[in-house]
Amino acid sequence: MTAHFRNLLVTWVLLLVLLAAEFGASFLPLARSARPLILIPVVLMVAAVGTMFMQVGRGPTIVRLFAVAALLWLSALLGLGILDPMTRIEYHVQDASRK
Amino acid sequence: MSATTIETSEYATSYLTDGFTLRSWLLTTDHKRIALLYLGSITFFFFIGGAAAALIRYNLIVPEGMIASAETYNRIFTMHGVVMVWFFLIPAVPVTLGNFVVPLMLGARDLAFPKLNLISWYLFIIAGMVVVYSLFVGGVDTGWTFYTPLSSEYSNGHVVATVVAIFIAGFSSIATGLNFIVTIHRLRAPGMTWYKMPVFLWSLYATSVILVLATPVLAMTLILLGFERIFRVGVFDPALGGDPLLFQHLFWFYSHPAVYVMILPGFGVVSEIIPAFSRKRIFGYNFIVWCSISIAVISFLVWGHHMFVAGTSIYSAMVFSILSYLVAVPSAIKVFNWLGTMHKGYIRFDAPMLYALGFIGLFTIGGLTGLFVAALGADVHLTQTYFVVAHFHYVMVGGMVSAFFAGLHYWWPKITGRMYPEMWGRLGALIIFIGFNLTFFPQFILGYLGMPRRYHSYPPEFEVLNVLSSAGATILAVAYLLPLAYLTWSLLYGERAPANPWGATGLEWQTQSPPLTENFDETPIVTDPPYNYPPPEVVPHRV
Amino acid sequence: MSETSLPHGFQYSNAGHQSGTAISGMWLFLATEVLFFGAIILSWIYCRHWNPAGFDAGAQKTQLAIGTINTVILLTSSLVYSAGLAFIEAGNRRRLIQCCVITWALGFSFLILKFGLEYYKDFSANLFPGSDFAINGALGGGARLFYVFYFVSTALHGIHMIGGLVLVGWIILRARRDEFTPLYFTPVAVVGLYWSFVDVVWIVLYALIYLVGRGS
Repeated sequence: MTAHFRNLLVTWVLLLVLLAAEFGASFLPLARSARPLILIPVVLMVAAVGTMFMQVGRGPTIVRLFAVAALLWLSALLGLGILDPMTRIEYHVQDASRK
Repeated sequence: MSATTIETSEYATSYLTDGFTLRSWLLTTDHKRIALLYLGSITFFFFIGGAAAALIRYNLIVPEGMIASAETYNRIFTMHGVVMVWFFLIPAVPVTLGNFVVPLMLGARDLAFPKLNLISWYLFIIAGMVVVYSLFVGGVDTGWTFYTPLSSEYSNGHVVATVVAIFIAGFSSIATGLNFIVTIHRLRAPGMTWYKMPVFLWSLYATSVILVLATPVLAMTLILLGFERIFRVGVFDPALGGDPLLFQHLFWFYSHPAVYVMILPGFGVVSEIIPAFSRKRIFGYNFIVWCSISIAVISFLVWGHHMFVAGTSIYSAMVFSILSYLVAVPSAIKVFNWLGTMHKGYIRFDAPMLYALGFIGLFTIGGLTGLFVAALGADVHLTQTYFVVAHFHYVMVGGMVSAFFAGLHYWWPKITGRMYPEMWGRLGALIIFIGFNLTFFPQFILGYLGMPRRYHSYPPEFEVLNVLSSAGATILAVAYLLPLAYLTWSLLYGERAPANPWGATGLEWQTQSPPLTENFDETPIVTDPPYNYPPPEVVPHRV
Repeated sequence: MSETSLPHGFQYSNAGHQSGTAISGMWLFLATEVLFFGAIILSWIYCRHWNPAGFDAGAQKTQLAIGTINTVILLTSSLVYSAGLAFIEAGNRRRLIQCCVITWALGFSFLILKFGLEYYKDFSANLFPGSDFAINGALGGGARLFYVFYFVSTALHGIHMIGGLVLVGWIILRARRDEFTPLYFTPVAVVGLYWSFVDVVWIVLYALIYLVGRGS
């Protein structure tokens, strides 16, 4: 098997390992605000698919420019977007319920 | 190449003669023909939005409202906003002038994805048909901003139909933006490095960045709004645990950069016209091109300034206010670049130049007044008043529409092979400037005095200013109908245009007017920097 | 046939130029999709922030087994398609077709499990946020919002999957007509990018739907 096919297979195994890791982590008794840490394997999985399956390193340079831009702009959307709810002063109501 | 004698030239073959059947137009992939298809479409929508504007100003002649009930008035200004924003301003320059000129300016034979270009026009037409349908069945009363819970729950208008139309139009925009970005990266003529590209291309690149990255967020927002409206699920309803500000954040994440989509191409057009009619290299090329890119980037970071009184956290509001001041800087730099270009230039006051000068004046006023509303404290007083209405009309109408007409007149000889009648062109530019100021300057005062926007009636003490504004609107209407008349006239009776009637630099002027379907006989090779006009000392000018 | 003599669109200088442009165009399109799904991710964040208990209560009723199996299916399909691309680059048309068929079958299985089985179970359990939603009381609002996110995001993802199946099917047809060689396989690469991206979206959605709200 050539190196490339082996790399693809290794990537797949890595993805399954990360999947198992996040699957397992989801059963840990984490505090509600800490549970988004389960998303760390997600970032690694996305990186693996992007580099090995989608081969972001191949092709013209603008391919990498577009990929970086997508991530940067996503960060701006999510980062600036959560600034408001994170810093808003809450006037507490009960968890909402249907009338 | 001299502009003093206009040769009569009969170009028997051009992209216009390359097929006379309906099929050759409706199934064309020629970027030039698609530009004309779009030109017809957006002109149609401009007059629909303009008709709505006429109804608005007519209604506001008397304090109690001349014609409409509050509900009807809400539908009229919504129609005006929706049609003007999505079916005129956002497409206008990119899809008409951009589609036509970009490959020519790059020295390319077409865009990167010509079939995608045609698909984008069909998406636009389908969206247009849906929006016309929604208008015919009564329209919607939420304002073009569709704030919840009015749009998601209480409105009796046709929210879903209108939102579907905008959704489809959004994909047309994304397709156009994608095409431009890839084309500019990949299809430049040999020798044309980034820094040899005319500023218009940089501006359209920046515009396209916004189109491709902001519009998808609008698409998802409209899906969520539709879901909310149909199933009453509560994503934006606080009684059900949702957050109405989520809608506003998502909406403005798109809509603020969208306003830069509307103005950046105008900057680009003006950046072409000022050097050509000052016969001088553009001042500070590196600054002006990087300012375009910075505007595109920073524009994504300021959306919260539309929400200062909506109930966001004060800390978020402060961050957005500071960032909004930052985004004003590159725009201001451009104004100095244009003025620096004109300084010691050999200036001709042809119609495109008059429109461009009008743009500079009106855009500067509009831009400066943006700083007022970007300040948290001042905005609390000015928001939702006519001050804001005047501000954005100064930049969008005074600015963008003037720039659109400037570009239309500038490239008209290239597109049609005909010269428009110069006197009428200059007259039109003048009438627009006068009519526009009369319409919108009183609105700054009205807003400062506290007249709210989107109200069909107003307190009697505001009557005089409103009447002045409406009078200005009738003058504006004439100013818009005038080019429609004489440009159409020129198609049949205008003088034949030479390849380069203005003596301008740029690859588009090196080919015949109108161009052949494949643009260039041979791929041009670029060696000169852009705006390669001779230095001012060489060109004679009046002391 | 050398690359310089391969056919190409008239606006391109050679086939390689066109091929690189097509790849770039697809990456840019995928960037737009990142922002598209990014908007609903922001909505997830808001809804969970304002209704943490209810949101997670809704998440606990998701079908973890089906979701996890589906994730394995999609990850495998990405592997297989990428292998298919590598095969045609090496000149092996037969293996390309086999890989694409397997990819198609895996994708189709995903859709059957998701929309045939999982949605059926969700609707039977009254988890659609309509008038007879299963969870009421203090947690009802948040749970309802969770299921808005769940149904909208998985439906949109499913639509993208269907598009992907159409594209992979198109590749199979073209490959059978012997249109791809080691010198020309651009459509295979472009479709592969799209397919893997739909996989990426699922990787993110899987965690947001099935994992974060579970436990505790």
